Amino acid sequence: MRVCILVLVAMGIPAFGQDPLAFFESRVRPVLVKNCYACHTKSEMGGFRVDSRERILKGGKSGAAVVPGAAAESLLLELVEHRNPERKMPPQAKLKDAEIADLRTWIATGAVFPETGPAPKLDPKSFWSFQPVKAVAAPEGTGAPIDRFLTERMKAAGLTPTGPADRRTLLRRVTFDLTGLPPTPDETAAFLADRTPEAFAKVVERLLASPHYGERWARHWLDAARYSDGQQGARDDDPYPNAWRYRDWVVQALNRDLPYDTFLKAQIAADLMPGQEHLPALGFQTIGETDNDRLDVTTRAMLGLTVGCAQCHDHKFDPIPTKDYYSLLGVFKSSAVSEHPLVGPEIVKAYKDGKAASDEKQAEVKRFLERQTALVVDVFAAQTAEYLMAVWKQETPAELDAEVLGRWKAFLKDSKKEHPFFAPWFALQATASEAEVRRTVQELQKAIEAVIAEKKAVDDRNYVKLGGIEGLKDVSRQVNTLVDALPIERFYFWRDVASTPFKSEDIKFDGGVYYFTAKALDRLLEPRVLRYANGLRAEAEALKKAIPALYPYWHILKDSDKPKNIPVAIRGDAENPGEEAPRRFLSVLCDGEAPAFTQGSGRMELANEIADAKNPLTARVAVNRLWQHHFGQGLVRSPGNFGQLGDRPTHPELLDYLAGRLVASGWSLKAMHREILLTEAYQRSSAAVGEKDPDNLLLARANVGERLDVEALRDAVLAVAGTLDRTVGGAPAVLDGKHRRRTLYVTVSRSKPDRTLATFDFPDPNAASDARMVTVGPMQRLFFMNAPFVAEQAKALAERLTGTDVARIGAAYELLYARPATPEEVKLGLAFLQGEAARWPQYAQVLLSAAEFSTIQ
Amino acid sequence: MLGGGFGAVGLAGTVEQTPHFAAKAKHVIFLFLNGGVSQVDTFDPKPELTRQHGKPLPGKKLPTDSATGNLMKSPFAFKKCGQSGIEVADIFPRVGAMIDDFAVIRSCYADNGNHGPSLMLMNTGHQLAGRPSMGSWISYGLGTLNKNLPGFIALCPGYPVMGPRLWSSGFLPNLHQGTYVPNNERTPEKLVQNIRNASLTIDEQQRQLGLLDRLNQLYLGRSEGRPQLAAGVEAMEVAFRMQMEAPEAFDLAKETPATHERYGDDDFGRGCLLARRLVERGVRMVQVYFGNSQPWDSHEDINSHRGLSRIADAAIASLVEDLKARGLFESTLLVVGTEFGRTPMIQSAGQLRINQGRDHNVHAYTTLMAGGGIKGGIAYGATDDFGYRAVEKRVHPHDLHATVLHQLGLDHTRLTYRYSGRDFRLTDVAGTVLKDILA
Repeated sequence: MRVCILVLVAMGIPAFGQDPLAFFESRVRPVLVKNCYACHTKSEMGGFRVDSRERILKGGKSGAAVVPGAAAESLLLELVEHRNPERKMPPQAKLKDAEIADLRTWIATGAVFPETGPAPKLDPKSFWSFQPVKAVAAPEGTGAPIDRFLTERMKAAGLTPTGPADRRTLLRRVTFDLTGLPPTPDETAAFLADRTPEAFAKVVERLLASPHYGERWARHWLDAARYSDGQQGARDDDPYPNAWRYRDWVVQALNRDLPYDTFLKAQIAADLMPGQEHLPALGFQTIGETDNDRLDVTTRAMLGLTVGCAQCHDHKFDPIPTKDYYSLLGVFKSSAVSEHPLVGPEIVKAYKDGKAASDEKQAEVKRFLERQTALVVDVFAAQTAEYLMAVWKQETPAELDAEVLGRWKAFLKDSKKEHPFFAPWFALQATASEAEVRRTVQELQKAIEAVIAEKKAVDDRNYVKLGGIEGLKDVSRQVNTLVDALPIERFYFWRDVASTPFKSEDIKFDGGVYYFTAKALDRLLEPRVLRYANGLRAEAEALKKAIPALYPYWHILKDSDKPKNIPVAIRGDAENPGEEAPRRFLSVLCDGEAPAFTQGSGRMELANEIADAKNPLTARVAVNRLWQHHFGQGLVRSPGNFGQLGDRPTHPELLDYLAGRLVASGWSLKAMHREILLTEAYQRSSAAVGEKDPDNLLLARANVGERLDVEALRDAVLAVAGTLDRTVGGAPAVLDGKHRRRTLYVTVSRSKPDRTLATFDFPDPNAASDARMVTVGPMQRLFFMNAPFVAEQAKALAERLTGTDVARIGAAYELLYARPATPEEVKLGLAFLQGEAARWPQYAQVLLSAAEFSTIQ
Repeated sequence: MLGGGFGAVGLAGTVEQTPHFAAKAKHVIFLFLNGGVSQVDTFDPKPELTRQHGKPLPGKKLPTDSATGNLMKSPFAFKKCGQSGIEVADIFPRVGAMIDDFAVIRSCYADNGNHGPSLMLMNTGHQLAGRPSMGSWISYGLGTLNKNLPGFIALCPGYPVMGPRLWSSGFLPNLHQGTYVPNNERTPEKLVQNIRNASLTIDEQQRQLGLLDRLNQLYLGRSEGRPQLAAGVEAMEVAFRMQMEAPEAFDLAKETPATHERYGDDDFGRGCLLARRLVERGVRMVQVYFGNSQPWDSHEDINSHRGLSRIADAAIASLVEDLKARGLFESTLLVVGTEFGRTPMIQSAGQLRINQGRDHNVHAYTTLMAGGGIKGGIAYGATDDFGYRAVEKRVHPHDLHATVLHQLGLDHTRLTYRYSGRDFRLTDVAGTVLKDILA
């Protein structure tokens, strides 16, 4: 009997006495929950839910899913058995055979489904990051509040923090941190000389006031904002010619310590805020290609939520239903990309009019010359027999055009053609009589005239089909109109005689025997016609030259005239619309039902919701990013994901304390820098403190020691070589041998990322980047060994240093590492140099390549 | 996740890793015929298409990205090849002659009829840019067999559509990014960035590196040995060795004129020849794009496949010959793929000149696999009577990826990387190994 039960269970039949409800709960519901719930509960894909018996029996758009007692007739089984390749469920991976068997059994035994489900899940808002920021007071004790939070945890863990970092180390650390540049020897000397207790605070103030602070911290934000100077095109970027004005706005906003809430609001809805000063902030939105991208990057950078995951299904892990996604998408869909010219309307008009007039004239020239070309083809076609007779007789009669005759000879040299129409010519025997040849070439002439006429007829029909001259301007009509065509061999025949040269992805042709254009055509035109043509050309050229330079503008968003809600796209498929999603904020971040947005697109309301002090995510995400860039890791180590799958904060109270401080400071980022930097924690040495906390989660030592990112690294090379152009702001330039500005000003391409930047982990600007990857690989070392850039900078560095070799070595160490050289290092240097001035650039290159140069301690 | 701590120490990829289970193949060569190869004109014969030439496609048409006309037969003749009798178009005579070495997967389909998303899908398992490419996953999973060369190299004369996103390491450590080599260049210096020093002699460089090593050791001694710093020192040694080895590996002048002739003295021929040289030297994965942009995109005139296949046929067949001659065929998985197929219907649209081409067809295309433990001489899966839609044993790029990883000893469900709070896979939540084509 025991054996028998086992066999039955294995076959999926409820064993004797097994309670159908228990079978359902243990064998069926788990399968439904695991495989079907994501799409077929709240999001009701295909209008179908699997969380009640009633809804399962009723089914979705395809009709009843389950016929109790009749497994074979139940649609559900057809789908899960993948019987129909068009409709497979789950679409990605088939259920295990045993699971299918269980479903079959469950249906066969009546599809029992209890009225009440299992205990409801916890309130999604109870998750830590959706909880309001708590007002936290720092623990009792001495020192800065941040230190008191950290010390408490270290004490509990039995950790003793390291002592303070060496002052030179600290200065180098904070200078790179706040400006992305190394301290100068003068700055180092001044700091060492200042023995007052406020010495470090003064340095922090100096650096926060530096215009280079904004450059450094803008780049951190631009990573999250997937900044790029162009939109990804298939082959090359479609440039955003004014994206850099957004970049500069970020730099300036940070330099002047624009309150962070305003900083965010401006990047969502500056056009709906009073005044125009923040309009360039909308670059944040417009340097993305699609509304989905805008939604994704806005929520990820500002809220630390992966709302993008809810495009096709309810978020699997966070309380973000698909409907919420379309509520937000409706906001962006009700907005449109536009430009805000930075010049008067008359200048814009002058450009647009000039461009239109030039385009119009170019088109006229083209049309006129095409008609002349066609005429020339017709004239030559009517003389085909004479040309071919001349070829046959190997004569060059004066009345025939020498070039056309030459083309015919070249064409007829090779009998291999893609069509049979010249076969009669090639079939002619050398002994053929003149009459026979003449008959053949006259036939050929007739055939050529016929195929040209045929092609014209086809073209005329297509011209009408395509909607005439206006239709020809409409690319989508061009793409979508099914046109007539010559049979392919007839086409090749026509092509060989009359076609213009052409080249596309898959084909190439050099031009037909009778085809003439441009200068070659001029020779064949009547003098009066030619004069007219040249007149047209001159006018076109003049108009082209007269187009004023493209005016500068900001890339902005505007509300569209008719803002509207959009329907949920079921499974992300816009062709499969579901219920309408009212434009409103994420439900999990609202008390009760989220109110619908009422003003225009709703962007201003969205911005206000995001930048609200009560929003539990915004301030936490912001201070976490600051912490991340000062300490190498955030308090939440997944800075772009504060959801279920993200990391939990290592110091939740500290995070809330900082978030509270940010709001209390009037959203001042600089105030937060001060608060973080003027702590023992920041100023600690990075020396190891034993094995207890290998990941340094509790920050008993400074969390540094990684390679500088590519911006700081390249900028530092230029800075110490004395070649850095420190101009702030302006248009970018591609990274070529002449580029001497900060790396922030290198053109960022989505289609063709710079190979050097990519080698040093510059993030892919096609998506938001939460944190830089820091790798160390041979391609990077090859750069330092062999790149002409490094050799040039080494030479400049060597030339900058003066005096004896010992003096120069000392000066180099102060410049590069902010410390004096040790006697051993001096000795090594002298041994390498051997007193030869010519070896200095090689020596300087070694110093630039050294691990110490590219590392912060 | 393999070997904990990847990413913390960036040099992990230069060390050989242990696969999940015994591997059939050690290397992958992925030849990418970019632009969309027409299945019905190459490896998927359709007599019914010939019979119904000029008639409308029976039944419902699936959405395509522009208007297409009536059915158009292939201008090329198919003939039975090899012992297996698999039919191959006569524009692939040499590959046809060795078809018994290939699994011809005729039932491939993808998700999006535009080049960009389909290229991304075939290379990274995801339509949108930003995920790691298959080569990066392989480098991450297995490391390299030759410390002196990158583990993953992507060759293209110029750039294919989507460019470097196709060999990006995404969120994987940058070390696993495909090293891009523009194979329209002919000298090692131009092929590999910074591979040679313009002014210093090897002796001078060695002196420099000697000093650098000493200075770094002093620094490391003071800074209590952070792993990243140690990796930097090791990377330097690799770089120096690479500088010695890579120029030789990329030096095509070392091949005889007869070899060049056999492969074809064109970009793709040279790319395949380089692929062979790199695999011989232990590179884990080499990808060769057929050409700049999207050469196989025969919207205008399907006859253009004739010229393209002349180049492809010679290079592919020569590569197989050479891999066999060197005993590398069994340990090298060769994939010949494309991003999607083409319609059996003619495409005659207003923007075209010739109107004798075929449009994109995401519903059916053919992928070839050979070597590396793949069963040769089989045709897998099938399309409908017109080659319009894959209907039998449909194969998604996720399935191809799962199969490639499987042959390398990697379980595609276990090759994961945690990023932004989620475990990512090349095959996302899907992928089935094509067991039927395994030897």
